[in-house]
Amino acid sequence: MNRVMKARLFKIFRYAMLLIWSVIVAFPIFWIVSTSFKPDWEWHAWPPVYWSQEASWANYRAVWGREESPRTSTEAETKTARYESHSANKPWQALWNSLYIAITATALSVAFGAILAYGVSRYRILSEIRMFQLLVLRMIPPIVVAAPLTLYYSAIHLMDTALGLIIVYFITTLPYSVWMTKSFVDEVPVEIEQAAEILGATKWQAIREVIFPLIRSGIVATFLFILILTWSEYLLSLMLSKVDVVTLPVQLAKYEGSDEGRVYGHQAALAVGITLPLMVIGIFIRKHLVRGFTFGMVKR
Amino acid sequence: MARIELKGLRKVFGRNIEAVKNLDFTIEEGEFVVIVGPSGCGKTTTLRMVAGFEEPTAGEISIDGRLVNDVDPGDRGVGMVFQTHALFPHKTIAENIEFGPRMKKVPPETRKQKVREVADMVRITHLLHKLPVECSGGEAQRAALARTLITDPAAFLLDEPLSSLDAKLRREMRAEIDRLHEELKKTFVYVTHDQEEAMTLADRIVVMRLGVIEQVGTPLEIYNDPVSYFVADFFGSPSMNLISGKVDNSNGAPAFSGFGIEYTLPDAYAGVASGDYTLGVRPEHIVVGSQDAAFTCDIQLVEPLGKDTLLYFEHGAERPTIAVVEASDRFKEGEQLNITFDPARVYLFEPDGKRVR
Repeated sequence: MNRVMKARLFKIFRYAMLLIWSVIVAFPIFWIVSTSFKPDWEWHAWPPVYWSQEASWANYRAVWGREESPRTSTEAETKTARYESHSANKPWQALWNSLYIAITATALSVAFGAILAYGVSRYRILSEIRMFQLLVLRMIPPIVVAAPLTLYYSAIHLMDTALGLIIVYFITTLPYSVWMTKSFVDEVPVEIEQAAEILGATKWQAIREVIFPLIRSGIVATFLFILILTWSEYLLSLMLSKVDVVTLPVQLAKYEGSDEGRVYGHQAALAVGITLPLMVIGIFIRKHLVRGFTFGMVKR
Repeated sequence: MARIELKGLRKVFGRNIEAVKNLDFTIEEGEFVVIVGPSGCGKTTTLRMVAGFEEPTAGEISIDGRLVNDVDPGDRGVGMVFQTHALFPHKTIAENIEFGPRMKKVPPETRKQKVREVADMVRITHLLHKLPVECSGGEAQRAALARTLITDPAAFLLDEPLSSLDAKLRREMRAEIDRLHEELKKTFVYVTHDQEEAMTLADRIVVMRLGVIEQVGTPLEIYNDPVSYFVADFFGSPSMNLISGKVDNSNGAPAFSGFGIEYTLPDAYAGVASGDYTLGVRPEHIVVGSQDAAFTCDIQLVEPLGKDTLLYFEHGAERPTIAVVEASDRFKEGEQLNITFDPARVYLFEPDGKRVR
């Protein structure tokens, strides 16, 4: 076999592997979306139904509409029902809780993380050991801290409050935001900052004019990364909230083992609802993501 | 214009890495001083202390009589050009140049006009709308110069500004910097490890080694009158021939011998004690094909450089002895020649590197 043939075969092989891998990765997503449109008899059907014969919005209506059971209604009715269901309906309440808690905690984590990261990168306010310890903190399984945390939270009345979850998410994600942002600050040559200073900029001006614009993409990438973590966090949310502050992942689990058995269709409809906001955010900030995740921002 | 005084300047990194040891030196107004030395000699640390980026462990830095140890870099009235141009990558060249005045709240119209002026001075008007990544190395360094020029500093600090450029561009930019100094008549402090840059640019050269000043002088003083083996070896291209050996002064006529060389030292060295020494002679002060010979050797290599020709002689010393002769086809590899030295230009160094005078 000559070299051209070999190269060609390798190329085919490579694409075949990539194709198989993307199918493996994409299939669950496809299955969730597909199930969310299926009527209940297709949920468990064998052989499995890939494309529903009777696709409808029924599951979405059941989950996101006014009532928890599927029912037929005109589109106009559903619309009004949705408007009214903001406070009335559980999934909407959970969506609001999740948005509020995840975005607040992430914003706090990224803001404090960036300040810490700058200090670590430029002034070594934390030694290598401390930075490592910070990361080790994340290696403790959440279940280990969940139980004692429940006790503490009861004692200081943070149980089942949005503030309680915001605090715990803020603290547990801080190591990530410090580490990620530090790598972006490290990338900005110190001479650039010094050039700004010797040209008459104060430290704050140098940070605002030079450092921040250069690490902005990195901060956006960090924000999204941490948002995904907090958005989909399950265990701590389950342990530290009961009825008032239910987040989406916990809400999702409530369809499991309920009286009606496993309501896969409703779960799928909720799952799609959980995923969409992140995808929308991702699409809006994709310009930053590409630059942020590739790290090579400053050409030297 | 600025007179920069360094008194007892010292910098220790960490616990015991002494980068600069007790430096005393004054840079006069309008002077072009080049601090030169091998890497790790403390030259960049010294410059960064003058700029205000490093805090001295001990000692005083005064600019025009004002003690600036505790003054921020931006308030010292100095400008700095970095080795890696350090332009702001997200700003256009015009925005980069405008940065200094903008920070100092100069009104926009005045700023615009000044940007055009300095851009004109370093001939980068056509680049003003471009981003630094779209500029070549030389263009970026010009822009960095313009960015410093616009703040009208009393002194310019330049930290190896040309080391990232290729040879031709380096010569071009060197001339440019020289011209700027002529025009502005400001104090320039220039750090480099390149002896050629130091020789061509400096009014005065400061040679640093291991954190101390080895020698200070005009380029010609440094070249013709080096105080030590180190300085002699550092300056000149090709560098000085340095041959280790012994001097025997038992009968009043000191004679150097080593690696096949037997050379009677000139009268200037009549008082020298016998012992180990290193003989130094620049390639242009070697006389080839003479009657009397310090040694006789085959030409190992003939290297024509156009204007001159280099002859390499291998006689067992650490480095081959090199002679510069006028370009000619007269010399052939393998040819045996008598070699001696210009007696007025022979240097002798003690084992610790000090020059015998």
